[in-house]
Amino acid sequence: MDGAILYLREDDRLHGRVQPAMMPASTDVLIRLKSLSKHYGTHIVLDGIDLDVRSGEVLAIIGPSGSGKSTLLRCINYLEPPDGGIITIGSMTIDAARPVARAELSGLRRRVGMVFQSFNLFPHMSVLRNVSLAQERVLGRSRAEADERSMQLLKRVGLADKAGQFPVRCSGGQQQRIAIARSLALDPEIMLFDEPTSALDPELGLEVLAVMRELAETGMTMIVVTHEMGFAENVSDTVMIMADGHIVEKGPSKDVMRNPQQERTKRFLRAVHDR
Amino acid sequence: MFPTQDEISAWLPDLLGGLSISLQVTGLSLLIGIPFGLVLALGVLAKNRLLKGVSLFLVEVGRGAPALVLLQFIYFGLPSTGLTLSSFSAAIIALAWNTGAYTSEIIRASLQSVALGQREAAEALGLSRFDELRYVLLPQGLRVALPALLGFSILIFQGTSLCFTIALPELVSRAYEIGSTTFRYFPALLAAGVLYAAISIPAAFLVNHVEKRAGLYAQR
Amino acid sequence: MSAADLLPLLRGLTWTVALTAGAFLIGAVLGVPLLAARQSRLWPLRFLAMTAIQIVRAIPPILWLFIIFFGLGMGVMPISPFNAALMGLGLIAAANMAEIYRGAVASIHFGQWEASAALDLGRWSIFRDIIAPQAFRVALPSAASYLIGLMKETAVASTIGVAELAYQGNQLSQLTFRGLEVFALVGLFYVLLSLPIAWLSRVADGYLRAKVAR
Repeated sequence: MDGAILYLREDDRLHGRVQPAMMPASTDVLIRLKSLSKHYGTHIVLDGIDLDVRSGEVLAIIGPSGSGKSTLLRCINYLEPPDGGIITIGSMTIDAARPVARAELSGLRRRVGMVFQSFNLFPHMSVLRNVSLAQERVLGRSRAEADERSMQLLKRVGLADKAGQFPVRCSGGQQQRIAIARSLALDPEIMLFDEPTSALDPELGLEVLAVMRELAETGMTMIVVTHEMGFAENVSDTVMIMADGHIVEKGPSKDVMRNPQQERTKRFLRAVHDR
Repeated sequence: MFPTQDEISAWLPDLLGGLSISLQVTGLSLLIGIPFGLVLALGVLAKNRLLKGVSLFLVEVGRGAPALVLLQFIYFGLPSTGLTLSSFSAAIIALAWNTGAYTSEIIRASLQSVALGQREAAEALGLSRFDELRYVLLPQGLRVALPALLGFSILIFQGTSLCFTIALPELVSRAYEIGSTTFRYFPALLAAGVLYAAISIPAAFLVNHVEKRAGLYAQR
Repeated sequence: MSAADLLPLLRGLTWTVALTAGAFLIGAVLGVPLLAARQSRLWPLRFLAMTAIQIVRAIPPILWLFIIFFGLGMGVMPISPFNAALMGLGLIAAANMAEIYRGAVASIHFGQWEASAALDLGRWSIFRDIIAPQAFRVALPSAASYLIGLMKETAVASTIGVAELAYQGNQLSQLTFRGLEVFALVGLFYVLLSLPIAWLSRVADGYLRAKVAR
């Protein structure tokens, strides 16, 4: 990874001088998947996915249910071990065909943060403790350090006043924002979002999307599986359509959303639009 | 430590005789106890105060006191009222009471688990309370209750061992007797344990299987 | 029957309480490693634990006490009735508590495991910080009703001569020839003993629920 190029690119993007799609993709690929595959029995869920995501890129993955988009996300951080393929994140490479050592897995999961559809906050801990726990246990921070950092993050997602509450006292949208703060607390290089607003009422989804948009603007690399076409078109740099374990089409978000090339993509977008 | 071949062949008829009595007591207790449990369940749910009170009392005592104490109450206690029972009848009455008390709770819970919509539908169709129970609530409720009832049956089978204390010649009594005459306690008791396990373990697997299938049914 | 007759029953009550508490403590503690073995990644260990749990539960408590008191006590090394009962009931409680813990752990939503894994919490931290505290809450009501069941189960200790409640009742009924009243009283004592356990369990459950309702 080249730091200088990264900085320039961030600068350009924030000031809107360069369209994201025009940015050079060769030098600063942060995550690269080579023929990643996964099957359950005879059913092929991921059929050799090749994918590059640049540092700072926001990639939205859309597609019909059962297309393998969630599985792709879960394979990237090994919640479901892929059957084959190679995952490269920065300087780290994992060959899925071989058994993965505990240390490798640990390194992978520290680099990659994950936000779940159902939030998965720890219900028996205060909001603050939810965000602090992994900092203490994984990064070895002291309780005071961890809590201080957690408060910063909770402020950032607009929920500092909820620190002492239990998750059950928070709305779904608030819980998801807390889950985002919890993930950010490990300072990941990439954030994965698995349908982060699907379990929420539209109104509550908006507050989560706002936090995600802000995160994108700070230059966080994000891969987002979503049904929010607005987010795909307006916030993400790149959109990728998946169906039946394949990548159907991938390109700059405005191009794909407004002027899709593939018949399968057109059909999917029409179906979404008609709903 | 372990029984020799000769000992096994010498003891086996005696032990199997004991097992047969244990199984008879189990069968009869369940045969009487489960219908009694249904009656108690309906009694507890009844609107009539007296019926409800008596049912509740029988359930609470039958569940609250140890089965061993129920047995001794009936076998050693009742004679002072002039009612003397054989150990076999006392065993069946005590264990049937115990069964009724526990299964009434199982049955009551499963009747109440039948969706409210089903009851409302039955009422909307103008079914009488009896028909509602007979055709709507019981068939669905008992299906839910089945795994728990089977599980409880294993416990009652094991509970027959308590009849040792009222001198019923069931499996534990026979094993203990062999032990005290031969001073080969450990092998004799171990042999009885193997017989209990030979019935309880396959039965537990069966219950597990039924439970899984019932779970599948519930999901549909 | 006079008030003096009640004294032995009250003495028996203390033995019942001691035996119940002791066996439950043994079971609650031993149940943890037993569950760990039951869920181990090594299949021989898993198989061994599963078989042990099955066998312990398949044999009636009274027979376990006989095997320990008469079988081991006469053949291997002498053992007091109370210790034999404690051992036997503790063993049974361990198998049952392991199953209660297992049910509680299984009831925890898989999302909790996934979130923990995604945060790279280690196995020990997942157990201590995430799973155990939640499983404890789920297990509490079942553990309390098992404790009540175990308390009634201790009556079998009377058969090997532990001077607990049922034993005292038996003696008293033979002494006074008033079995009906004596056994009714003994039964009542057991019911009364179960009340504070049920009450404590409800209070604890209510407290935990109010704090972290789900």
